[in-house]
Amino acid sequence: MRPYLLLAALLIGACGAEPQPPLVATELVVTRPMPGARMSAAYLSLTNNTEATIRITRVTSAQFGSVQLHESILDNGIARMRAIPALEIPAGETLTLQRGGKHLMLMRPTGPADVVSLQFFDDENLVLSVDTEFETKAH
Amino acid sequence: MSPKNLIIAIVLAIALSTGVFVAMRLQAPPALKTAFVLPGAAPLPEFALVDQSGNTISRDSFRNHWDLLFFGFTHCPDICPATLQVLASARNELDAAGQEPLPRIVLVSVDPERDTPELMGKYVGYFGDGNLGITGSLEELRKLTSGLGIYFEKQAGQGDDYAVDHSAAVLLVNPDGEFHALFSSPHIVENYVHDVPLIMEGQ
Repeated sequence: MRPYLLLAALLIGACGAEPQPPLVATELVVTRPMPGARMSAAYLSLTNNTEATIRITRVTSAQFGSVQLHESILDNGIARMRAIPALEIPAGETLTLQRGGKHLMLMRPTGPADVVSLQFFDDENLVLSVDTEFETKAH
Repeated sequence: MSPKNLIIAIVLAIALSTGVFVAMRLQAPPALKTAFVLPGAAPLPEFALVDQSGNTISRDSFRNHWDLLFFGFTHCPDICPATLQVLASARNELDAAGQEPLPRIVLVSVDPERDTPELMGKYVGYFGDGNLGITGSLEELRKLTSGLGIYFEKQAGQGDDYAVDHSAAVLLVNPDGEFHALFSSPHIVENYVHDVPLIMEGQ
């Protein structure tokens, strides 16, 4: 009987679970603006729990005047930084934004702050909102 | 050749080649991990820029110490601070290991339009004491970069929101004020800790 009870318990547990959010952010790091510089960067992993591609086309933050989707590229020994139109996260996959690659460029801090909030939008709706403390270091 | 002489010849040949191999191993300096030492060190071109305190910086400012030169800009949130942090960490590790002398870390701005001496001072100071931040006129900057084969180009943007593409390499300048060795990206702390003392000793 025991295996059946266990199965039943698991099924009840599964039915009672909260539905997964469509997009989940992990490993979020926001650097402090460098001394004298009016910008910083955010790095994170975005996991798409839905069955369709999610395209983040806009990110906002109350603590910064502007947030741009950027990508650093190393091209034949030349460091290039480019604005990109969207962060595409295929169904069920994770996109990692990391140093030297895709990242959020946070520009024009609106004032001193310990916590930064980020809102991720697709073409129409708010998809994800996260808060985190600034990293202790500025890079 | 008789079989006996043939054996002697083979034994001699093996002994000789082994000896040459061992001698080469003994004489060969330890291999560098990533640095490329120029076959002939190249004097820095003539230029006149300023440091974070407003002092004039010319090629003579690079005499009598080793310098690690990186070309970047302060409005660069990703690659530039990451590279400077690698150089600062390597310098700290070399210092802890008793390396003497230590190379100075120098950031040359490829964005003199926005990078004032004051801003350069705050930026390089963040990565440690004794670092040098250089900026100045575009014309003088071009003299330095074109003489060293360093590329940079301002990209289109809106107002003050623009990026500058630039060479990602780090240059090691020797105490004679000559471009001595090149570190290409990716920049890794361990490679600097390993290669910089070897290059200095080879001087």
